[in-house]
Amino acid sequence: MIIWAGFCGAAQASITPQQAAQLPAPAGHSVSFAKEIKPIFEASCIKCHGRGKEKGGFRLDTRESTLKGGDSGPTVLPGKSTESLLIALVQGFDPENVMPRKGSRLTPEQIGLLRAWIDQGAAWDSSVSFGRLEPANLKPRLPAIPPATTAANPIDRFLEPYFAAHNLEPPEPVSDRLFARRAYLDVVGLLPPPEDLETFVADRDPEKRNRLVERLLADDRNYTEHWLTFWNDLLRNDYKGTGYIDGGRKQITRWLCSALLTNMPYDKFVAELVNPTPDSEGFTKGIVWRGVVNASQTPQMQTAQNIAQVFMGVNLKCASCHDSFVNDLTLADAYGLAGIYADGPLEMVHCDKPTGQKAELKFLYPELGTIDSGADKAARLKRLAEIITQRQDARLTRTLANRLWQRLMGRGLIEPVDDMEKAAWNPDLLDWLAEDFAAHNYDVKHLIRQILTSRAYQLPAVNVGERQQQDFVFRGPAVRRLSAEQFRDALTRLTGSGYPSPAAEIPPSESEQKRFAPLMAVKWIWNDPHAADKAKPGHVYFRKTISLTSVPVDATAAVICDNSFTLFLNGRKVGSGSDFKAASIFDLRPFLQPGTNLFAIDAVNHLPDNSLPGAAEPAAGTENPAGLLFYARLRSTIGGDAANAAEDDLASDSSWACTNVRLDHWEDPGFVPHDWVAAVVLGDVGTAPWQVSRSYLAARLAGAYPGTIRAALVAADPLMVALARPNREQVVTTRPITATTLQALELTNGDTLADLLKRGAENLLTAPSAAKDDLIPTLYKKALGRKPTGPEFQLAREIVGQPIQPAGVEDLLWSVAMLPEFQLIY
Amino acid sequence: MTRRDFIKTASTATLSALAAGFPRALLAAPEEKIKPTADTVIVLWMGGGMASTDTFDPKRYTAFAPGLKPDQVLSTFPQIDTVVDNIKLTAGLENVARVMDRATLIRSYTAGDLGFILHSRHQYQWHTGYAPPQTVAAPHIGSVIARTLGPRDPAMPAFIDIGQRFDLGEGEELKAFHTAGFLGSEYGPFIIANPEDALKSVRPPAGMSPDRFERRATFYNKLLSQSPVGQLGSDYQKESLLRSLDNAHRLLSSPAAKAFDLSLEPKASYDKYNTGKFGLGCLLARRLTEAGARFIELTTEYIPFEYWDTHENGHTRMVDLKKSIDAPIARLVLDLEERGLLNRTLIVLASEFSRDMMIEGKPDNKVKDQVEVPDVINEAKHYGMHRHFTDAGSVLLFGGGTKRGYLHGRTADERPCKTVDKRVVIEDLHASIYRAVGISPKLSYEIEKRPFYVTRDGLGQPVLDLFA
Repeated sequence: MIIWAGFCGAAQASITPQQAAQLPAPAGHSVSFAKEIKPIFEASCIKCHGRGKEKGGFRLDTRESTLKGGDSGPTVLPGKSTESLLIALVQGFDPENVMPRKGSRLTPEQIGLLRAWIDQGAAWDSSVSFGRLEPANLKPRLPAIPPATTAANPIDRFLEPYFAAHNLEPPEPVSDRLFARRAYLDVVGLLPPPEDLETFVADRDPEKRNRLVERLLADDRNYTEHWLTFWNDLLRNDYKGTGYIDGGRKQITRWLCSALLTNMPYDKFVAELVNPTPDSEGFTKGIVWRGVVNASQTPQMQTAQNIAQVFMGVNLKCASCHDSFVNDLTLADAYGLAGIYADGPLEMVHCDKPTGQKAELKFLYPELGTIDSGADKAARLKRLAEIITQRQDARLTRTLANRLWQRLMGRGLIEPVDDMEKAAWNPDLLDWLAEDFAAHNYDVKHLIRQILTSRAYQLPAVNVGERQQQDFVFRGPAVRRLSAEQFRDALTRLTGSGYPSPAAEIPPSESEQKRFAPLMAVKWIWNDPHAADKAKPGHVYFRKTISLTSVPVDATAAVICDNSFTLFLNGRKVGSGSDFKAASIFDLRPFLQPGTNLFAIDAVNHLPDNSLPGAAEPAAGTENPAGLLFYARLRSTIGGDAANAAEDDLASDSSWACTNVRLDHWEDPGFVPHDWVAAVVLGDVGTAPWQVSRSYLAARLAGAYPGTIRAALVAADPLMVALARPNREQVVTTRPITATTLQALELTNGDTLADLLKRGAENLLTAPSAAKDDLIPTLYKKALGRKPTGPEFQLAREIVGQPIQPAGVEDLLWSVAMLPEFQLIY
Repeated sequence: MTRRDFIKTASTATLSALAAGFPRALLAAPEEKIKPTADTVIVLWMGGGMASTDTFDPKRYTAFAPGLKPDQVLSTFPQIDTVVDNIKLTAGLENVARVMDRATLIRSYTAGDLGFILHSRHQYQWHTGYAPPQTVAAPHIGSVIARTLGPRDPAMPAFIDIGQRFDLGEGEELKAFHTAGFLGSEYGPFIIANPEDALKSVRPPAGMSPDRFERRATFYNKLLSQSPVGQLGSDYQKESLLRSLDNAHRLLSSPAAKAFDLSLEPKASYDKYNTGKFGLGCLLARRLTEAGARFIELTTEYIPFEYWDTHENGHTRMVDLKKSIDAPIARLVLDLEERGLLNRTLIVLASEFSRDMMIEGKPDNKVKDQVEVPDVINEAKHYGMHRHFTDAGSVLLFGGGTKRGYLHGRTADERPCKTVDKRVVIEDLHASIYRAVGISPKLSYEIEKRPFYVTRDGLGQPVLDLFA
């Protein structure tokens, strides 16, 4: 936002004899460049004429560039100080054009030194350059791992000398329970289920922590749904927001989920974002704002800024308007990168004033490779992706290693994480992590595994506040707070009351497709063998009774009907649908019961104009295709081993009964059907005209377990907004960590949480398996990973009431959810 | 030290310093000491583009008659006198006319050139001082004030935002500036979408009695004291969490919360305000000001093509709009005055731009037209100011150290009714509001290592003529 005054007017080059007489006399000794001249240049000149900056076209980088001068001609004439522009400018003969422009004027003594230096031949120590410094943290560097003493993990071997140097004796690692809680939240974003936790704690295997990390990393879906939040923030991908409504913005959710599910190598991941496919182009497409936007916010410039920030950890926002004063990047760098994405040459605009100059296409760090300005856009993007993702670009790997370290340890090796030109508090460790990451095929899970299996990660949490960022010494992970999404997901697991449906559909992983696939044959049915070709418009009623020993843990139905349907279970309406091109998905659990269960479907074939058929006999010639497809996955585990869990699955076939005569209460379990006939099978899933594929059905069924939909997959609600889920119009790399009063108000009296807890309490009290005596211990185990203490149990019994009251359960849920022990990660 | 002791012994200053965190405040120039003339700001937002020629800047009146040519029409309301000789308003604002001796009226507010008119972008610019998009999330002026000055009463949220819903058209775009942006959510708006539901926002959740609410709080504290982590000692995260919960509880159980309860207002007074949502919002704003609010924005609500966004039926819609704002605004001014608060409360009535029958944008910088205006007006629905005009608009100020009965700026008498004298742009309007509360327009906050000024690039200049 600062606009530095530019060097504009033509400088006065000659000094009149009268003026020369006013100049301070040259110093009377032999001047040392290193000791007397260099400090003057450093203090007063190089901010605008060095380190890559060239105001007025003048660079002080070397003797040659200094003699050559800038737009106003030679700056220094060796041997002739009274004819040198430099002296005229620092003396201030032209009041409009005094150097330095900012800061204090040079003293007469300093001017005398400069004169003497020029008169003595302007000697320059060839080892001194004020040119652009080699960018920090750019090249790869593989430090040797310090020798092992006690630690095996390389991270710990780097930290041993560090701790020794800081006179620190690291304490014992945290308990199994704390470790498991951290690991679950960090890898899959969920609290550890009590059974898993107890098994883990009881396990005697010394390798069990590594094994747990391994197992969690293998949980592709939960890993994806957790890390989706991190990447959505970084890549500013969302489901609603500015730009989406009018096509000025494009989601990359499907691509992103797919990349996370398959653990796409990070170099490939970045390459596909930088040089996108139609599925990943949302990131570089940016947000196209309607109306006139500032030149620093064109979509190409947004892309340049975001590539710089997200992948290279460097701020290009300042340089989008003017040469940056927070780093060495210049306006030409910003346009050089933005121009790669432009369809034609981009004119550089300096603080909203066109300069008339076109930027040469280049990446921020030309040492990594050049871009042919003459190449077409496709070739340029391909080249840019190569440059950024090559092994020689270790800024890319350092930036991600640092982001993950920050995420998992609470504070980065470099802070702020978007200022990767700063030094890490342990450069060897960061450099090694980055190289190890690259050497392992850019495997992000490998990087997470390295950190999580270190002793450093397992140290007790320490207090790191926002204010205590200076003089940081690493002693262990910081105490962290659950993210909005982790908090909401924890409540879902605690109460069984999740979001009804995702805002975006996630492509299932291969293993999920297998685990959730319909295992039985599923058929299109109707009451007429020619229905796939043509059937009369009107209602057909279907019924099917099954018997269950218990309510399945996963009871998910997919229904497709040409044209519309209403599904009933045990006499209660489950839902309806009217899209014969897509399967509607329903959570059946609330409707099922142990014993007999009746499925009833009112299926309707519409008229050719898609209007509903009336009571009268439809006119001749209105026949059109009709069919119903139904599959219910009824299993004792969610996503468990399908082979031994499929016993209760239910599919549409000839065992369903049907009629086209509507009778009262036909959908009720008590109704006794007379004259109903067996449904007619029209064919397999793929039957024309619908041609549904088995894999589509598998994907739909795998993509949703209603009621357990995670917060990362839905648009932000007021609760998540209050808990710092960002509006993703800008890239967000770090969310605020301070709890605020507005947050607390939302938690204390906001409708979103209150409704959730109300539904949650109802779920807990009506779930058939809920032995009410266990409610309090179960809640503690799920929420805090431990049993309540005696006094806690007594207090909790008091609040839930005797007999247990729904309001009491709500209040207990709320109180537990507000405990620091719940909301913080220790 | 236990948590309770910590809360008890820590002074308010310590707590707010703890809560403040980053970003740090910076000043580009040596700090100017500005003596504040106001403690509270109330923005009355006429969302959608209020036609100044039909409200606060009357021009030649032409009554509706079939066959009128649109370019014959400047004002669709006759002019009325006010208690100030040289200030005229339009019919329908008779109550406001009676309190104009307390007002400063700016007629020369000029909106930015943001191209193709989009209400949410102009509103963004009005509320943040910056045209969207920005590379960092720009804070709302209310958040800047909340961050810089803090709450007046510790139990009262510093920035209260009344009347706007966000689930309607352009809701996402509105969210982008109803935010503290990079200043952090601590300074974000406390949102009351409907003033009639204000009480709900400071009450226990729906269906929870105050007794149960207190019981829950007591239980929570007991449970907290039993939690092993509660005994682990102090850390930043825990203190931050517990302090925020304490603050929330304090607000929900404080006497200040009564200010939110409109049912406590005497019926006679309530009725005077009750012209609907906006009128009750004025009542709420008054009650909150009395109870120590720092910054309040009350909007007539922006919904595309509703309220002041008069793409058609401009005249008839404006009759109703004026009915909804006229009496309550006058009442608000008089009530604050009666309570001795007007001197220290700055009321700012404003809109993102004005409207005109003929010109979209500015006369010398027209933008893509969006409104159908027929060549001849035959139906009443075409009678009114339907295009978006950015070259002049009215801003009405009361109290907070501004002049009384003062008219600032002038617009042309004939079309184009553009600003001809004392142009005021958003930077200067903001600088003036900031000056009233004692904030330098050059104040900046550091974000990503650079200064972000409270007026664009620190260039805002307060309009000193506005102040007494």
